[in-house]
Amino acid sequence: MSDIYAALEIGTTRTLLAIGEAGTSGRIKLTCHASIPSTGVRKSKILDIKQATQAIKGVLYAIEKKQSEAGSDITIGNAYLVVSGQHIKADPFTGSIQIDGRVTDNDINDLSEQAHNMTLPKDRELLDIIDQDYNLDNFGGISTPKGMAGRVLKLNTLHIHAERNRIEDARTAANGARLEIREPLFAATCAAEAVIEEYERKNGALVIDLGGGSTGYAAYIDGYLVSSGVIGVGGDHVTNDIAHAFQTNQSQAEALKTEEASATISQERGEASRVKLQSSSPLLDYRTISRHALDTVVNARLRELFAVIRDTLESQDLLHRLHSGVVLTGGGAAMRNIDALAQRELGMNVRRGRPLGVDGLEDEPHPESFASICGALQYAHHANATKPLFGLNKLFGGLFK
Amino acid sequence: MNESASSMLLIGIGTSGCSIARSVADSFGESLRYILADTDAKSGDLGGPFTLIGSNRLSGRGAGGDVVAARLAAEDSLGSFDTLIEGVRLAIVVTALGGGTGSGATLEVVKHLSDRGIPSCVFATTPFAFEGADRQRNARGVMNMIEEAANACFFLPLDKLVESDDQTMGDAMNKAISIMARGMTLFWRLATKPGYIRLDAERMRHLIAGSGKGRFASVLVQGENRAEKAVEELRNSKLLLDSSGPVRAMLCGVLAGDDLRLSEIGVISEGLRLSFGERAGFELATVNDEETFSGRLAVVLMLFESNGRTDAEEEEAAKTNEAVRRRRKQKAVLGTGPTGRGRFNNAEPTIWNGEDLDVPTFIRRNISLDY
Repeated sequence: MSDIYAALEIGTTRTLLAIGEAGTSGRIKLTCHASIPSTGVRKSKILDIKQATQAIKGVLYAIEKKQSEAGSDITIGNAYLVVSGQHIKADPFTGSIQIDGRVTDNDINDLSEQAHNMTLPKDRELLDIIDQDYNLDNFGGISTPKGMAGRVLKLNTLHIHAERNRIEDARTAANGARLEIREPLFAATCAAEAVIEEYERKNGALVIDLGGGSTGYAAYIDGYLVSSGVIGVGGDHVTNDIAHAFQTNQSQAEALKTEEASATISQERGEASRVKLQSSSPLLDYRTISRHALDTVVNARLRELFAVIRDTLESQDLLHRLHSGVVLTGGGAAMRNIDALAQRELGMNVRRGRPLGVDGLEDEPHPESFASICGALQYAHHANATKPLFGLNKLFGGLFK
Repeated sequence: MNESASSMLLIGIGTSGCSIARSVADSFGESLRYILADTDAKSGDLGGPFTLIGSNRLSGRGAGGDVVAARLAAEDSLGSFDTLIEGVRLAIVVTALGGGTGSGATLEVVKHLSDRGIPSCVFATTPFAFEGADRQRNARGVMNMIEEAANACFFLPLDKLVESDDQTMGDAMNKAISIMARGMTLFWRLATKPGYIRLDAERMRHLIAGSGKGRFASVLVQGENRAEKAVEELRNSKLLLDSSGPVRAMLCGVLAGDDLRLSEIGVISEGLRLSFGERAGFELATVNDEETFSGRLAVVLMLFESNGRTDAEEEEAAKTNEAVRRRRKQKAVLGTGPTGRGRFNNAEPTIWNGEDLDVPTFIRRNISLDY
């Protein structure tokens, strides 16, 4: 018997729905996925619920059609929701209890309950609580305090929360397509779940999820998440910069970004130094622009983005502790030479993040753009593996109505 | 004052910058061309050629930690600098980042020097960690902009300059000012005093123009094996260890009395090359000053980092700087024309360090495009 999960991402660039099947080995197989360009979303915010609903209906239809062609007649009833956007915040919170002698299981449970009980404003919705380290009598970095003697035990946690209205809008859009949202999940930590190994988390690793409307990051040290956040700058900004610099429409700019531009500045000479651009004028077939200028526009934007992340982590004294380096995910990670630029700007080893422990992406040219959706499917599997397993009928009754 | 010295100008900006510059002028022991500038009138009470920045706007009360107020105040006062910088071939700016004037006014003064075609070299301390997040933010907010406007800059973290654990904040600050002043004085002597391997102000100007970001440290040693001691101290200097990139070039100044031996220069030269990069360019200068350094040996070391840019990017950066200068001259003010927010016009803005990141970066950075 295998468990099947669905995850939905309503991104600025695309709406993506993916189906994952957990095999007996624990690996996830991405059995089917479909995406269509998003139209009612800007900077990760849904501006037009009707259009977002249409997009979700579109991917649902595409998935069901593919499944039907594969001989599986199912209807998808619910999905985990991957969310991003600069409305997402991560706040530290520390719980504290007095210890009488040695730390017991009860102490740890009481402390966990207290540390998880941070009150959020009404307009915020909790996405996740990450347990970091324990601190016993001001001695931190403890992972398992049970049995240790001390007086005051503390638990450091990181509470990730989002603007409630944004999540509600996504729920409304999904409900309009008869899809129920099971749980909203933060895109950057989902991506990290999918692309970094345990030893990298311990050594210190940074995942940068380059989305269309925003860029999320998640930094891990000593095995746990120490810092996370979202910057409201994404691939759409690169497109907008190109459109403004070369007076093109958005689709031309998008094509220039994905097909021609490089994150580092080109040194091409001769014919290769010019890029052809279809002219909007009836008098001209095409016009050409300087590749050097195109790369300069992209380079300036991406350098700035990495500098913001670098400065943020540096101000938290974390940058020099990320010994395993940086992993880039999201659609923006497909940009030519972005790894070289990130390496230079962040001063660390950088690689693109292909989802680990996930099969079914072998034919995808840019598997790193599936990192957060794969992470969501892995999360779904882990979350359900710790609960009593549903029977096959019950599972399908829950996930596939 | 000799001609070499008079073509170099030391500018102290902000309260700490004024203290350091004044201390250098006192230590130098002879007339040194310098000016002190601050928004706080109290900085002028201790003497020296003082310019009050933004007297109309701030009434001599200081900028109160407000970087923007200090920038505006400095803009108001830039005209008064013109007579003070006449004939200057190289300006050395010394300041402490973190406060309003040190961060804000320094940036405007350096840009003004750049507009007047005067190369500038900035020595700036960055705040102690205990000074708090606001001062750290003030400093970080302008470091990149200063780096862009200045020809060379050295950011010296106070945490690395002084072991502050067992000192009061006042003591730590005073010690930092004195260490900075000592380093600056040695630097000044290097460019103005005679030596067997001469580095005059013109050569210094040539070396510094376009050097970019660097690291700076100085040591003063005496006794047996003093050359080895100097190398060892520099090798272990916290100010030199922190690096954002490999060393591209080194400028080493050796200052000593008449007892300076050739073998000592060899030890220093070889030791520093082995320690900081054998492939890096190496420029050496010596100063003979028996009166000041009898029996002692001082070494001033500047390491210039490679920024990792490709040649094309270097070329672009040079063009950008030129474009920035041109636009400043035309009094072009960012933000008054079309914003370039494009499709983000009605979206929630992304603000970082006071900048609207939805506006194309190349517009905000004044990057010229070779269409």
